[in-house]
Amino acid sequence: MRPSRLRATLTGVALAPILAWTLFPIYWITTASFKTELALYAKPPQWLFSPMLDNYTRVLTNIPFFQYLRNSLIVAIGTTLGSLVLGTLAGYGFARFHFRGSEAVRFLVLVTRMAPRMVLVVPYYLVMQRLGLLDTYTGLLVAYVSFALPFSIWLLIGFFIDVPLDVEEAGMIDGCSRLGVLWRIVIPIAAPGLVVAAIFAFLVSWNEFLFALILSGVEAKTLPVVIAGLNTDAGPLYGEMSAAAVMVMLPNIVMTLALQRYLVRGLSLGAVKG
Amino acid sequence: MAAGRAGRWFLLPGLMFLFAIDLIPLAYSGWVSFYNWWLIRPRDIRFVGLANYARFADDPEFTRAVVVTTVFTVGAVLVEFLAGLALALLFAQPFKFLRPIRVLLLLPLFVVPVVGATMWRVIFHPELGVLNYYLGVVGLSPVPWLSDPRMALVSITIVDAWRTIPFMFLVMYAGLEVLPAELFEAAAVDGASAWQSFRHITVPLLTYIMLLAILIRGMDAFREFDIIFVLTGGGPGTATQTMQMLNYRAFGLGHMGEANAIGIVTLIIVAGLCFILMRAVLRRPRVASP
Repeated sequence: MRPSRLRATLTGVALAPILAWTLFPIYWITTASFKTELALYAKPPQWLFSPMLDNYTRVLTNIPFFQYLRNSLIVAIGTTLGSLVLGTLAGYGFARFHFRGSEAVRFLVLVTRMAPRMVLVVPYYLVMQRLGLLDTYTGLLVAYVSFALPFSIWLLIGFFIDVPLDVEEAGMIDGCSRLGVLWRIVIPIAAPGLVVAAIFAFLVSWNEFLFALILSGVEAKTLPVVIAGLNTDAGPLYGEMSAAAVMVMLPNIVMTLALQRYLVRGLSLGAVKG
Repeated sequence: MAAGRAGRWFLLPGLMFLFAIDLIPLAYSGWVSFYNWWLIRPRDIRFVGLANYARFADDPEFTRAVVVTTVFTVGAVLVEFLAGLALALLFAQPFKFLRPIRVLLLLPLFVVPVVGATMWRVIFHPELGVLNYYLGVVGLSPVPWLSDPRMALVSITIVDAWRTIPFMFLVMYAGLEVLPAELFEAAAVDGASAWQSFRHITVPLLTYIMLLAILIRGMDAFREFDIIFVLTGGGPGTATQTMQMLNYRAFGLGHMGEANAIGIVTLIIVAGLCFILMRAVLRRPRVASP
């Protein structure tokens, strides 16, 4: 019993600073968003204070926050739907049909994700300018689907492979088409995989900054660009910036916590299963 | 397993979309990079051949950007790899509250990058920041986290590490989980020490996963943008101006030819890394599936 107790203590000692380092920034900005200006700049830093909602009311009234929120949501939901449809089809295709070079094509899909965004965004800007799609949802959406799709495909391959073949064959004998089998049998069984893929696609779009910065001007401006815009060293904006940052981060935290079980499996799957 | 042509109808929509969205802009980018092309002078676009590329050879700013990018990429990935591996080994032994703690440790990975960088900018603030305050309390002089040319890159690495150690941890943790337990048991029966079984079982079997994690992270660090943009914007001076930031600046000035040329050079470097990755992956020993 002794050595394991010793180990538990050591583990605890090792974990405490790691947890502090990981969580402190999140904790600090969250509390900052509830502080008054006086408390924000107080020295020593205030750990205990009476929380205020002033920063939130100010950020919601001073800038058209809800319009930016709507922009972010529309683009993120569109990205999710687009990459789910294309990703399901392609993931199923890779999982069930093998042809010469299919492994190479699968890697090529992943390779497209590797191109630096900055390399893509400049010509993309020129193309979108020519098509008149600058500062539109469509311009952002198409780009984001292409960012989310490779991962969706890889993730879903892993889930579709796990669906037992005989269940599918039974469906085919009962007269289902391939697409019918996918829709009625495979998708319900692989639903957790689709949930993970959906969340990832949503977050890819929700988090994206560079394309939004360059492609969206006024109309389609998304929240990360707004946050970066509030980020100045001019002190007085710290409260509002923190409040906006917390609101933008909230969906991410909720999704991560709610779906942790799937996330760990989903994230590690691509790397290990290959 | 089923073969045949039905598969193409499943694969084509996604693949065509991906290749169209990625390849058309890239081809266009290559084309534009041969032109003297200013955004504000659309009627005055001239073919200049390789002139945009030739300029890099004796442009100290470009050389500097390559150095900054390399230093940042190597430094960040090294730190993140070692920390991630240590964490993964720590979590390989079950302990109380493992699951909730693991989720908490993953959080930074899911925070909006711009928001994460914002948090750190508040913490790093020279006068108002909590970090410098407590350094003062223990008797150290305040550190100019983001305004000192040397320190700025270190600070960016700290933030990058905060954000992506969870990724390194997760990938290697997943790799450790699938290692066959019998091997370790057999080694323990034979009297191997913890270090010996790490050195002779874990490392060789985990090499593939480690390589994968390093290369994926390497490519990500190479193209880091959001954090640098929010923290320093490439400054002070050119201290943290990576190739991505230089590219952004050329774009901001409206110099499309140069911006695209920088992009193509970046792409060639990343493609080189990618090639190494693909070779490593396609030739890996099959240890993951026992």
